[in-house]
Amino acid sequence: MDQSRRSFLKTTGAGIALFTVAPRTAFGKMGGDNHFIAPSDQLTRGVIGVGGIGNSSSHFVSDQNCRLVAMCDVDSEHLSKTLQRAKDTFGETPKAYTDWRDLVHDPDIDIVHIATPPHWHALMACEAANAGKDIFCEKPMTRTIGEGKRVREAVKRNGSIFRLNTWFRFKDTFYGLGTNVKPLKKLVDSGLLGWPLTVRISGATGFAWKFYWTGKENLIPEPVPACLDYDMWLGPAPFKPYNRHRTHSTFRGYWDYDGGGLGDMGQHYIDPVQYFLGKDEDFPVKVEIDAPQQHPDAIGIWRSITYTYADGCKIILEGEGYESKGKVPYIEGPLGKVYQGFECTIPYVMDIINELPDPEPTNTDFLECVRTRRPFSLNEDNGYHSATIVNMGVCALRLGRNLEFDPKKQLFINDDAANLLVDQPMRGEWGKLLK
Amino acid sequence: MKKIFTLILATLALSFALQAQDARQRSVETIVGDVVAQMPAQTAEALASDMLDLAKAAPESVIQLAAMLQSPEMGANNRIEYAINGLTNFAATPGNQAWKPAVKEGLKQAAALCTDPVNKQFLESQLWLLGTPDNTVVTAPIDSKVLRKSATSQEKCEALYLKERMLGVVPEKDILKAITDKSRTVRGTALRRYAPPTEAFAAKVAKKFKRLGTEGKVDVLNWLGDNKIESQLPLILGQFGSVKDIASAAIEAAGKIGGDEAADALIGQLGGENGAAALKALKSFPGDLKEKVAAALGNASGQGRSNLLALAGSKGMTNAAEQIFALAAEGDPGAIQALPGIAKSTDIGRLANLLDKAKEADVPGFAKGFAAALKTLSPAEKYDHVIKIIEGARHPERFFPALALSGTDEAVNDLVEAANAGSPEAVKALGKTGNYKAAPALLAAGRAGNLTALKDYVSFVDRFEKDVDRKCNALTDALAATKDTDLLKNFLAKLGNTPTSKAFAVAGSYLGNPDTEVAVAAAQAAKNIAAKCVDDLDATTKANVLGKAIQAFQARGTADDGYAVDEIKKMLAETQAGSPIFTLSDEERKAGFEMLFDGTNLDKWAGNKEGYRITNNEIYVTSGYGNGGNLYTEKEYRDFVFRFEFSFVRPGANNGVGVRTPHGVDAAYGGMCEVQVLDHDDPIYAGWLKDYQVHGSVYGVIPAKRIKHKPLGEWSCEEIRVQGDHITVTVNGEVIVDGDIREACQGHNVAPDGSNMNPYTVDHHNHPGMFNEKGYIGFLGHGPGVKFRNVRVLDLTPAAKGKKR
Repeated sequence: MDQSRRSFLKTTGAGIALFTVAPRTAFGKMGGDNHFIAPSDQLTRGVIGVGGIGNSSSHFVSDQNCRLVAMCDVDSEHLSKTLQRAKDTFGETPKAYTDWRDLVHDPDIDIVHIATPPHWHALMACEAANAGKDIFCEKPMTRTIGEGKRVREAVKRNGSIFRLNTWFRFKDTFYGLGTNVKPLKKLVDSGLLGWPLTVRISGATGFAWKFYWTGKENLIPEPVPACLDYDMWLGPAPFKPYNRHRTHSTFRGYWDYDGGGLGDMGQHYIDPVQYFLGKDEDFPVKVEIDAPQQHPDAIGIWRSITYTYADGCKIILEGEGYESKGKVPYIEGPLGKVYQGFECTIPYVMDIINELPDPEPTNTDFLECVRTRRPFSLNEDNGYHSATIVNMGVCALRLGRNLEFDPKKQLFINDDAANLLVDQPMRGEWGKLLK
Repeated sequence: MKKIFTLILATLALSFALQAQDARQRSVETIVGDVVAQMPAQTAEALASDMLDLAKAAPESVIQLAAMLQSPEMGANNRIEYAINGLTNFAATPGNQAWKPAVKEGLKQAAALCTDPVNKQFLESQLWLLGTPDNTVVTAPIDSKVLRKSATSQEKCEALYLKERMLGVVPEKDILKAITDKSRTVRGTALRRYAPPTEAFAAKVAKKFKRLGTEGKVDVLNWLGDNKIESQLPLILGQFGSVKDIASAAIEAAGKIGGDEAADALIGQLGGENGAAALKALKSFPGDLKEKVAAALGNASGQGRSNLLALAGSKGMTNAAEQIFALAAEGDPGAIQALPGIAKSTDIGRLANLLDKAKEADVPGFAKGFAAALKTLSPAEKYDHVIKIIEGARHPERFFPALALSGTDEAVNDLVEAANAGSPEAVKALGKTGNYKAAPALLAAGRAGNLTALKDYVSFVDRFEKDVDRKCNALTDALAATKDTDLLKNFLAKLGNTPTSKAFAVAGSYLGNPDTEVAVAAAQAAKNIAAKCVDDLDATTKANVLGKAIQAFQARGTADDGYAVDEIKKMLAETQAGSPIFTLSDEERKAGFEMLFDGTNLDKWAGNKEGYRITNNEIYVTSGYGNGGNLYTEKEYRDFVFRFEFSFVRPGANNGVGVRTPHGVDAAYGGMCEVQVLDHDDPIYAGWLKDYQVHGSVYGVIPAKRIKHKPLGEWSCEEIRVQGDHITVTVNGEVIVDGDIREACQGHNVAPDGSNMNPYTVDHHNHPGMFNEKGYIGFLGHGPGVKFRNVRVLDLTPAAKGKKR
């Protein structure tokens, strides 16, 4: 047995005592029919990270379909507060963990919900898959392209079901469009707009890039609050002295943990585009940026990021304050344009769209996917593709230059520095978990 | 043009300075200092040019930069980090390999010298970026035990995965075995990941179908549908009569595969217990169903009929229009719902009739159908049709929404009239006209308490009013008309997009609102307005309102609010009060001073007037400053008294006054001298700034007495007096330089031996321009963040006295 993959060495960074490697049988393999089955086929969920999205109203759910049975956080205040909230809301107190590996290997849990900052996503998803769990992962899927590849492998290898949590490809009004993505998908599929298409994700087309997710330079080290296990918060990220702005609600401003507004909103905005362009199995071949120089730690702003596919389709992101002036189309093709609010140069486009067949249905009920073992609509495969688009942009910004990408190898072309960013080292022992 | 950055490693400094001078005769320390002052670069071009300078001076430049890194406690390393990371990225850029070894070497040495662990790690991370990637996605070795045992479902999945890795593809017999496994995880994984989606393999799977349990059958049917295995359609259609789960899966699969046979079978299911599943499948059915649906409608009844109607309506099957109209006239709810999908302009008459006569409960349905029938007409045609219908209608108000849809001025007038006569339907309809002329009536209704009308009013204003002042007034009216907190929040958000001084005051007046969310909305609006106000905001008002805005954000206290507070504080710190227009004092006038900049214009100046821009009656060195060069007096001077006021806006700001300098050279060397202008109190300069680099110094030649600058944003007065070789610099009344430049270097402005190393000047550089007879006076900026005002000069040149140039 490959110990490094299966086991979970409890050493990280600053000299924590070594824990005995738990025998695999202690946790068993809980996949599929051997899942712990609560009364009435109820599924069970454990959430890692309860200070932010994990504590949001849409996720703070425990019902007869799926019971919230455990939670984990490295901030004892977040943990105790949320436990109390669970007790008040659901009438039972979930199990509390401070080390996510204990939650992942808890045999009573079917679904591991990863609601931590992105620098943890890959490690947790891989370990959860290896523990035979299904995974509900918040966006962005992973912090690097290489981590995305590993999550795919682990999920495939263990027969897990993986959901990436953004949803605009299958439901909800899609920002500036004023409708969901379905009519767009039908319109694009119909060919009425021609080909190739250019999609502009911009304030001018109804999308905000949230530039308040920028980091601060010159962070002065501060004492770590007693309630926070900062070493465990950092985990695989390089050690940097604590400053409150790095953690909790402002972590998105630092390259070590996320990708700023692009990291936060990128997959929300880009994944549906990938879907309606029919690029779920494709990657852009080029990313071009226009941005001020980026600080190596604190994420700054950018003016534009342009992705180009081999067939000429483009996705253009326009930064806040750098939007195209005047009326610009959200989608532009040689035969037609679609503007904000679904205004279209094709007359009576909605009637035409109505008459077209709906897009092929996908599986949009995650719990049903867990029960029937069917892939969720947005899963580790298409999710990896859209996360890679985001991460291509991150690499280009960090390096301050345009990059070319090889969709086959899923690496940048003849560019060592960019490919170093594809597979970044993890601190201490954490890297071993991913192998 | 400051070469303010020098080296802590003094021993290294000298040797590098001697070896590495660039085309502009700059030493490494100068290059490093110049680049650091430009950090972060705003454009790719600026970055590339800065980094090329550094790369040419590597490895010394890297070592010098690294030596400038201070303890993180100082919070002052950002520009150094920008520079080093920029250089690393530059050296790692394909095509720049030539620079890589020197940069790498510099980083290695710097990391070895670095004692601070945080900085050391930063340097090592940069070194890593110049390494060679290993992009193999490492997978664990193949575990034969898993293959042999495969006891649990997870192990069985893993066994398939490993076989694929070993053999390239998983043998069919293994897949078939997995498909019949008792674990759904194993079956699902085998089908999704490993089963070849071919007709041939599907035939093998089909042979196993009978022996599968319900779930197993569902899994296989899903797989057949997902992969559109047409040859298995008979098997799929044969399952429609099965138990619900199997039937539903079969229906979904048939819908994905498509074709005539599947369409007929699915339409046949619309009336039964699979009706909902069949309807869903038909909505996404790949193919034209018009004829089939119309034909089926003829014989259908009950659930089957309503599903067919829903399908016909949602897919716009106008060929079934007659059947649908007939049923709608009978009051069939499914048919009424289908009307909007199939109504054409030729149906206007009969739809009007149906709407007018409809039971109250059916009115919304028929109204939708009627509106749909109008949609291809022009606005005028819409109006004409509807107004005629209204004139003869029993229930005219039922046609108000359609009238509104025309959006014409006539429609607005008619609806206003009806509204004035007391029709609530007319008010509602006015909100749907999309015609700004409806606004006054909506506002009036809003003032009378109709919140929907008020909301419509604001949405019209937001949509149509392009004049920012009028828009602000309109929003102010709307705000005054309501106390509803949701509306106030909404309106204040829109007010935030009208950046005028009035809007700022209005937003300010809601900061004391007892509702926290309203107060925060007002704070947000005030912040947005202040950020891009088209008016000059009175400084006191601005500070006052934004101070209250901070309190509102803090009272709510979410993470975003914290950001907003930071933003406002930054804004307040950068707020400029603006300066008066200056005139010469009596004393100056008598003495013969000339005003060079009084706050109004740069007429007496030449050079970079883009980067030196008049803002608030001040010369502000803008963030656009960069490659545009310096600002020079129009005239040349030999002896003079130069008076001005300066103020630092950003910490560490760096500029200088060039004396007797030609255009376009580094005045510190090519001119007589440069008198340093520098916020030397900024911690970034702590510990290493040379005495000949502090504010007021005759750069590199005569050190100034170090003063403590006033706080950022406050003004200081400076006088530079130049007579022959004598220079006196006075700041805020204190003389900080009083010396003879020729004496200071013992007459050796350049090294007597012709080398670059001049032992007579304190910076050991040559100053070839030092003895220029005359030249321009200039502001020599290096980056934004400093401003000047009230600039005067007295020409002391004997020849100039009493004689016009």
